[in-house]
Amino acid sequence: MNNVEAIVFVIDDDESVREALKSLIRSVGLRAETFASAREFLESTRPDLPACLILDVRMPGLSGLDLQRDLVGANIHIPIIFITGHGDIPMSVRAMKAGAVEFLTKPFRDQDLLDAIQQALERDRLVRSQQADNAELLNRYRSLTPRETEVFGLVVKGMLNKQIALQLGTSEITVKLHRRQVMEKMHADSLADLVRMAERVLTTKGTRSTKGTQEI
Amino acid sequence: MLRTLWRYGLAVLTVAVALVITKSLEEYTDITPLFYAAIVISAWFGGMGPGLLAVVLAAVSIDYYLVPPLYSLGLGPKPITFLVVFGVLAVLTSWMSAKRRQAEEGLRQARDELETRVQERTTELQHANEILRERANLLDLTHDTVIVRDMNNVITFWNRGAEERYGWTRDEAIGQVSHKINQTAFPAPLAEITAELTRTGRWEGELLHTRRDGSVVTVASRWALQRDEQGKPVAVLETNNDITERKRAEEALQKVQTELAHVSRVMTLGELTASIAHEVNQPLAAIVTNSNACLRWLGGATPNLVEARQAVERIIKDGYRASEVISRVRTLVKKTPPRHDLVDLNDVIIEVLALAQSQARRNHVFLKRELADGLPPVLGDRVQLQQVILNLIVNGLEAMAKVTESARELTVSSGKDETGNLFVAVRDSGEGIDEANLERVFDAFFTTKPEGMGMGLAICRTIIESHGGRLWVTANSPRGAVFQFTLPQASTRAAV
Repeated sequence: MNNVEAIVFVIDDDESVREALKSLIRSVGLRAETFASAREFLESTRPDLPACLILDVRMPGLSGLDLQRDLVGANIHIPIIFITGHGDIPMSVRAMKAGAVEFLTKPFRDQDLLDAIQQALERDRLVRSQQADNAELLNRYRSLTPRETEVFGLVVKGMLNKQIALQLGTSEITVKLHRRQVMEKMHADSLADLVRMAERVLTTKGTRSTKGTQEI
Repeated sequence: MLRTLWRYGLAVLTVAVALVITKSLEEYTDITPLFYAAIVISAWFGGMGPGLLAVVLAAVSIDYYLVPPLYSLGLGPKPITFLVVFGVLAVLTSWMSAKRRQAEEGLRQARDELETRVQERTTELQHANEILRERANLLDLTHDTVIVRDMNNVITFWNRGAEERYGWTRDEAIGQVSHKINQTAFPAPLAEITAELTRTGRWEGELLHTRRDGSVVTVASRWALQRDEQGKPVAVLETNNDITERKRAEEALQKVQTELAHVSRVMTLGELTASIAHEVNQPLAAIVTNSNACLRWLGGATPNLVEARQAVERIIKDGYRASEVISRVRTLVKKTPPRHDLVDLNDVIIEVLALAQSQARRNHVFLKRELADGLPPVLGDRVQLQQVILNLIVNGLEAMAKVTESARELTVSSGKDETGNLFVAVRDSGEGIDEANLERVFDAFFTTKPEGMGMGLAICRTIIESHGGRLWVTANSPRGAVFQFTLPQASTRAAV
């Protein structure tokens, strides 16, 4: 497991707890960065690495749960591990529903926290690699000419070359050429592969921006 | 005038008629009876005067027309005797007739008078009846119930208010025993109430009555004793005023107040505890985490002593921090020491009994007090002592909730024991306490009540002991329990 290329953020208003957590995280070879408040964390520039967040629920100012809500709202999907002095069930339910990895009550077993951190980083890596793949796919998609994009859209709808040619007012031979071009540019091995890619492009575009017409 | 003329004329006329008839029948009959008749008629209708006139006229007529010598007023010796006898008899007849007439007149007059008076009396009586009826109607107008009962508590009057309040009509209620039909619950034994009523002629207090439909009303009841001329009690007038709603409101208010006081105390305690817990938990969490980190720094293939050392230093720092929190809390608690005022225990008991009265009545328990006079004050916190006594009383009331067969009585007594300490005892006639539990009841979290926290008696004992006294429990005879505590009197405690 490549832990060097990951970072654990700790937000706790209590310095002792913060320092202790930092030491524990570093003792297993992970990078740790600490913040005294949610605001401090939001204002920081963070390296683009697989990461997770250890967050105290009860803090002055923006609470842990508030921060979680804001991050989800800002479409920042960093896995969160909550720690709290006294957690009640509604609080933990709310946190877990909003996507928290774990909800730990202080003082917690170190192994529980470290396991949760590993799980959180794993989750972030997965998300990140998916995002990278999707971005690559989108780049390929964008490299298509307008006519190729049109052909792509009609092909994945299951239309035959003859039908496409009829619809676009061109010859079947031209469509065949465009189609080969699309398969090449998208690195697709088969029609099925191309259809899967089309779906991913569609969802990635959907989450990345709400504007733009759906050409596919 | 006319009447006089008529009366005397009658005399003349009757005598004349008698003369004519007698004269015409002279050959066949005796001469006098018709004249008597004339005299009697004259005297009867005309009175004494016309009677006498008739006598004279008759005598003259007889002398002149019928007695020889005829047609002359001269008389022989024999006719004179006759005329004298006739005259005397005639006068006598006339007099008797007139008297008789007078008597009858008098009688009639008396009868008329009597009749008039009877009529007057009847009118008066009717008037009085009307007033009475109006008053009875007034009694029906009032919202209060008005009940009259005899000395055996048998109802003799039941107004409309009573009909409405209790649901029994007048006809149903009259003749019933009032405390039975209303299922009266008294604040004190009935014998005591009756004694007061007999002594002072009055009683007032709050009663619980059960309506026909089974619902219970609280009434402010006033009783007045009615006595006859010899001073013997004959009836009781009872007026009842529905105070259920007021009572309910009062009780609700009291309950809310008590709950509020309790909640605010618990809240403060709860918040304080939460805050202390958080304050202590933070360094503890840091210590645990640092210790774990330290072990990991030491446990690696190449132990990192620098990191391990720093972790241990942080552990020490957090240990001190936790300790500081604790000592801060202790100073905080020390800031509110219990008050030490001079407290009259009897006053406290009376106040608390007043507070407990409504619950006692709901549980059908008689609260009694046997307080020693002239007790010296104790030095202490009045509110804490109230809480102790209230707690003991409420425990006693709850202990009696299941008792049905014997009287439910709770007695609070005070006094001074032989060592000069003051004591307060709360004795109930409840279920009592198992021998095995006699000491355990004072343990924290020990409870026999389904909703109990098991803190009441533990706190009570702490309070009493902090006042320099003792609290213990013994069995009551024949049943129930006695909770008793002692407190030193103010002077001796101050000297210590």
